[in-house]
Amino acid sequence: MRLYLAILLGKLISFISRTLKIGGGSAAPGLYALKIEPDLVEKLAGFIPKNVIITGTNGKTTTARILAHLAKEAGLKIIRNPTGSNLERGIASALISGAKLNHLNHPEGGLRWHLGVWELDEFAFNEVAPKLKPDLILFLNVSRDQLDRYGEIDKVVDRWCKTISKLNPKTIILINPDLAKLKNYFKGETKEFGKVKNIKTDGLNGTSFEFQISNFKFQISMPVPGMYNVLNATAAITAAYYLNIPITPLNNFQPAFGRFEKLPFGYIFLIKNPAGATQVFETIAPLIKPNDRLLLALNDNLADGTDVSWIWDAVFEILLQKSSRAKSRDLSLYVSGNRAHDLAVRLKYAGFEPDAIEVEPSLKKALKRSREGLKGKLFILPTYTCMLELQQILAKMGIKKHYWRE
Amino acid sequence: MKLIIGYLYGDYMNIYGDTGNIIALQRRAEWRGIDIRVKVKSLKSKIKKKEVDIFFFGGGQDQQQELVSRDLVLSIKGKTVKQEIERGVPLLAICGGYQLLGKYYKPHKGPRLQGVGLFPAYTAASDQRMIGNIVIDSRFGKLVGFENHSGKTYLEKNAKSLGKIITGFGNNGEDGTEGCIYKNAVGCYMHGSLLPKNPQLADWLLLKALEVKYGPQAKLKSLDDNIELKAHNIAIHRFT
Repeated sequence: MRLYLAILLGKLISFISRTLKIGGGSAAPGLYALKIEPDLVEKLAGFIPKNVIITGTNGKTTTARILAHLAKEAGLKIIRNPTGSNLERGIASALISGAKLNHLNHPEGGLRWHLGVWELDEFAFNEVAPKLKPDLILFLNVSRDQLDRYGEIDKVVDRWCKTISKLNPKTIILINPDLAKLKNYFKGETKEFGKVKNIKTDGLNGTSFEFQISNFKFQISMPVPGMYNVLNATAAITAAYYLNIPITPLNNFQPAFGRFEKLPFGYIFLIKNPAGATQVFETIAPLIKPNDRLLLALNDNLADGTDVSWIWDAVFEILLQKSSRAKSRDLSLYVSGNRAHDLAVRLKYAGFEPDAIEVEPSLKKALKRSREGLKGKLFILPTYTCMLELQQILAKMGIKKHYWRE
Repeated sequence: MKLIIGYLYGDYMNIYGDTGNIIALQRRAEWRGIDIRVKVKSLKSKIKKKEVDIFFFGGGQDQQQELVSRDLVLSIKGKTVKQEIERGVPLLAICGGYQLLGKYYKPHKGPRLQGVGLFPAYTAASDQRMIGNIVIDSRFGKLVGFENHSGKTYLEKNAKSLGKIITGFGNNGEDGTEGCIYKNAVGCYMHGSLLPKNPQLADWLLLKALEVKYGPQAKLKSLDDNIELKAHNIAIHRFT
């Protein structure tokens, strides 16, 4: 009965927030439903035959999306938390929206899914993983991200060790070789990702490579740039392999909103921490052409991390050194967000000409200014809440659907 | 003119954008035509007298901080740094670095970790996480940064604080002080990064380094700090 009420309330909140267009409804329904039924995630996830958890600092959303893509191509029905809402409330919200109230007494609880793919924030993992009783866990990587919330990197890994020591030894745990420490704490056997060979890049159009695991080889060709996405794909394909999901070349895979997105006038690449931002700089720097412009947006809201020190660990210098315009230093730069001025300082110290940096804290105005007289492409690099705001601005301009439909 | 930055344990103690301070010192020296280089002084290195013109010491993770704390004392690098500070060499230490240069660190359990004793202060572990934007009033004017620590530092009677808290917790969240200044050595909890947004402090460190190396007539050319000061002022305006 409590579960029923919790789902009902969640569905109601979701309906209201969608009707009023006040947000994506990706967190609030779960947040309030969990207050009524704290075991909601455990109970509803228990109805799903297989659950996969993906955690780590960078690449969770893309990895989850690639795995979901492969599963869908194989005809499986997938449930997942799609909007980067990766705390317990996000998972609860997804489960609520997937549950059918009038079927709760049926064996599958109205959740007619084959596979749950859950991306979990590296900290929330410890609390939520035991509740999901996962069949497979993917540990991607740990790097500095929002230390103001999570404390230090070593502590993140130490907590993971503790959590996995209590998990069912039959769980398939896939780890990035950097996280070998986890091996010693898990009662079962951990496995590593498959190997990648012959990587070929085609600018912003995509990447192709050969993937090898035990005696199997697959040719992959995906329409997403960046070496970091090769790593994400490797993780996802390895998971698919162990879940007996057929592996396809990924050529019609579509990246998640904002992570990498093509617009009529440019591209969006989400940046949120030093490692991720630096990977984006590595990817785009060699491709920026003389008429192109750059719009960087930094907020210090909770979801971005309130400490903006991280921009000094991100290697903005690459944008100059690896660009074909390294010597001209006149790349048109627009900085925005509530910490736009901090970004301006960072860029000046990265070697950009101060006169080439235009500061406009309002994202709407910055977008307008940066598009005025634009002859090339606009590369937009927003932090998380800037990206959400950008989606709304683009929706209002008629360039994108309202973001909750994503 | 030539300057050497000694980045103390830069491979271990570099958390929360502390490297931004090194970048700020480098660029601000280069913009004035000063040849400036960074030497990382870590576990296996030695520090010779007069080898380093400015020391920087950042924060680290607990495990690494313990390793570094032992090495500082055992390798006598800590003693050398203290002697150099006595002759006026400037230093900036943030968070973990600041704690290790105090007299001792008292963990939750176990014996005290001996510090270098450069700053007349000691630090005790606490359960309170002091996180957030911080603004202080100091002899360098207002300084703005971001703090993130649970250690509480207490200054001894003869110690001079870096400044008084306007917003934030500072040394211990109790006495309204932040940081410590001894001769030309500054220790504090301010990440942010500190120097890029507080260029007056960066320049003071550079000037002190030049004075020690080239004599009291050394001067620094002024720079156009428009962008830096805007970021500085806007941050102060937002957080106070």
